[in-house]
Amino acid sequence: MGSIQPQLPTASRACVVFASMLIAACAGNGEGLNANGQPLAPGGGGSLPPLSADFDSIQANIFTPICSVCHVGGSAPEGLRLDAADSFNLLVSVPSTEVPSLLRVKPGDPVNSYIIQKLEGHAAVGAQMPDGCPSTQPCLTASTIAFIAQWITNGAPPSAAAATVHAAVPLAITSIVPDGVEPVSSSPPQIMIAFNHDLDVTQIDSRSMHIEKLNPGASPVVSEIVPARVTVSSANPAALMVWPSVPLLSGHYRLVINLGSSSQFSDIAGQSVSVGTPDERGESVISTFDVEVLP
Amino acid sequence: MIQRLTVAALVLAVVALLRTTPAEAEPYLAVMTGYKCNVCHVNPTGGGLRNEFGVTYAKVLLPENTVDNALDSWTGKITDRLQVGGDLRTDWTRDTQPNSPSQQAFALEQFRVYANLTLIPDRLGIYVDEQIAPNGSQNEEAYVRYGSTSDGFYVKGGQFYLPFGWRLQDQTAFVQEVSGINMTTPDKGVELGWEHSSWSAQFDVTNGVANTSGSGYEITTQAVYTKPIWRVGIAGSSTQSNAGDRRIGGLFAGLRTGPVAWLAQGEVVRDESLPGGVTELAGLVEADWRVLKGHNLKLTAEYEDPDRIVRNNQQTRYSFVYEYTPLPGLQLRAGYRHYFGIPQNNSQNQQLILMELHGYF
Repeated sequence: MGSIQPQLPTASRACVVFASMLIAACAGNGEGLNANGQPLAPGGGGSLPPLSADFDSIQANIFTPICSVCHVGGSAPEGLRLDAADSFNLLVSVPSTEVPSLLRVKPGDPVNSYIIQKLEGHAAVGAQMPDGCPSTQPCLTASTIAFIAQWITNGAPPSAAAATVHAAVPLAITSIVPDGVEPVSSSPPQIMIAFNHDLDVTQIDSRSMHIEKLNPGASPVVSEIVPARVTVSSANPAALMVWPSVPLLSGHYRLVINLGSSSQFSDIAGQSVSVGTPDERGESVISTFDVEVLP
Repeated sequence: MIQRLTVAALVLAVVALLRTTPAEAEPYLAVMTGYKCNVCHVNPTGGGLRNEFGVTYAKVLLPENTVDNALDSWTGKITDRLQVGGDLRTDWTRDTQPNSPSQQAFALEQFRVYANLTLIPDRLGIYVDEQIAPNGSQNEEAYVRYGSTSDGFYVKGGQFYLPFGWRLQDQTAFVQEVSGINMTTPDKGVELGWEHSSWSAQFDVTNGVANTSGSGYEITTQAVYTKPIWRVGIAGSSTQSNAGDRRIGGLFAGLRTGPVAWLAQGEVVRDESLPGGVTELAGLVEADWRVLKGHNLKLTAEYEDPDRIVRNNQQTRYSFVYEYTPLPGLQLRAGYRHYFGIPQNNSQNQQLILMELHGYF
């Protein structure tokens, strides 16, 4: 190259110099910016963080203000609660109830994530979300959906706060859905038990729980036992899912650990916690809830 | 040799049926030859249907080999008054982003056909550019043109691409995306054009590509001065909209030094439709080295500042693309592209490997 350059005409040298100047122009180092290239809010207090491809931002800017208007509490459509406490655990690697072959969020694969299909309006079942868009409320813009898609492409990591829970904090349950506070209006596709640490999945028995339907009355009388399957997704080892083998009809239910199975759960650091309270037979009851299936 | 190439072309043609790409212009050819856009294209602002000279150039002067009995008499003319053409591009890309598994895919980028009907020679014509695939038929350009596109004034009305800087083949180039004026964003309106000697100029009044308010409009203007080994152009655009006005200014130039054609473009955008108003910058330098007949090495360096008042957010992009045109009507492209952006945004730091097959007539 060095032997060729002196032979280049002046114009050519000028072009090389100009091109070199552009090549030398460096990309920004991103200091003080969020993933969207916008300045970080000073102090982080007050106003919403700018929308970016991380879960906290998506929760604050989209799920909480828009989606959880409907997707909240016992009447959350498809059992999908999108409030800040539950949305991550009910989205990531959880099968859609409308199209069970698709995960609501498939980490790394936005195209095959049901949430993207629902937001873009080409899901195989049901209407585009947010419900009623574009007639009664605006649909999410393509650029907004792109942030969710990018978060999924990035592997759908949890919120920064969840990711930084110190190991010294005792292992504990942070959320159970259904929670027994209010009845659910349709058969819950799964019961979700969320912990503050990633669980040691090798300690979990997939057949260790069942669901009991109780007759009304002062003392609980079990009228039906519904087998259930326990799973923990590798994409979200902090949430334990319990899948009833049949849809739950209206009634009062409780989730119970089988007699003889351990009621202790351990995290990957070896911490253990006992869950549930003993019932009349000594089995551990994790939660109770009511199902009031609407006609 | 020709037989081997013919077999390869047939194999590639079969592959092309599975996947293809768009019909954008290649302005480096204009710089390399010193021609104005209207020398090779029906559309005086370039791109789309090639005229008789353009077809002949693409058959004889562009490819490495000419082939006997291969469309010898083809000039695109079905009759004296009707000329057709088309471009089909299919590609394979492998996209790698930090912290994510690589994704690769074949894609039919574009299959477009063009038609030009001359109602009154050198005065009145109808031009259509229709994208056939993917995703069904979609009209890109459809306009009536009155006047001379070779020397003098002309007017066209309908839907067409706006004139703004280099009409690059890569629609994802920063200068194409920042201006928002490219070959994916035709607009409806009228264009007054002037072609004379070394000059080309256009003045367009259109709806505004992204103007959905129904009360705005966009004015776009461009002037280019062309000499055999260099050219320079200036372009501007102003969109009036209830959502916020948008103004763009750009300079572009081309220069040939021996076997290398240089293209450069810089532009500044002031967009009041974004919160607080945003000023954006974008720049491009491209070098096309015609290594041998039918072989072109394209090196591109690009720069974008998406918001002048925000620091540390600039992006750059570098591309290395080899274009091989073995036969009339067939071009193969392979390349590597690396994006550099802020480290917290994976998509701004992606690497792209691409292979493309381009069939045209």
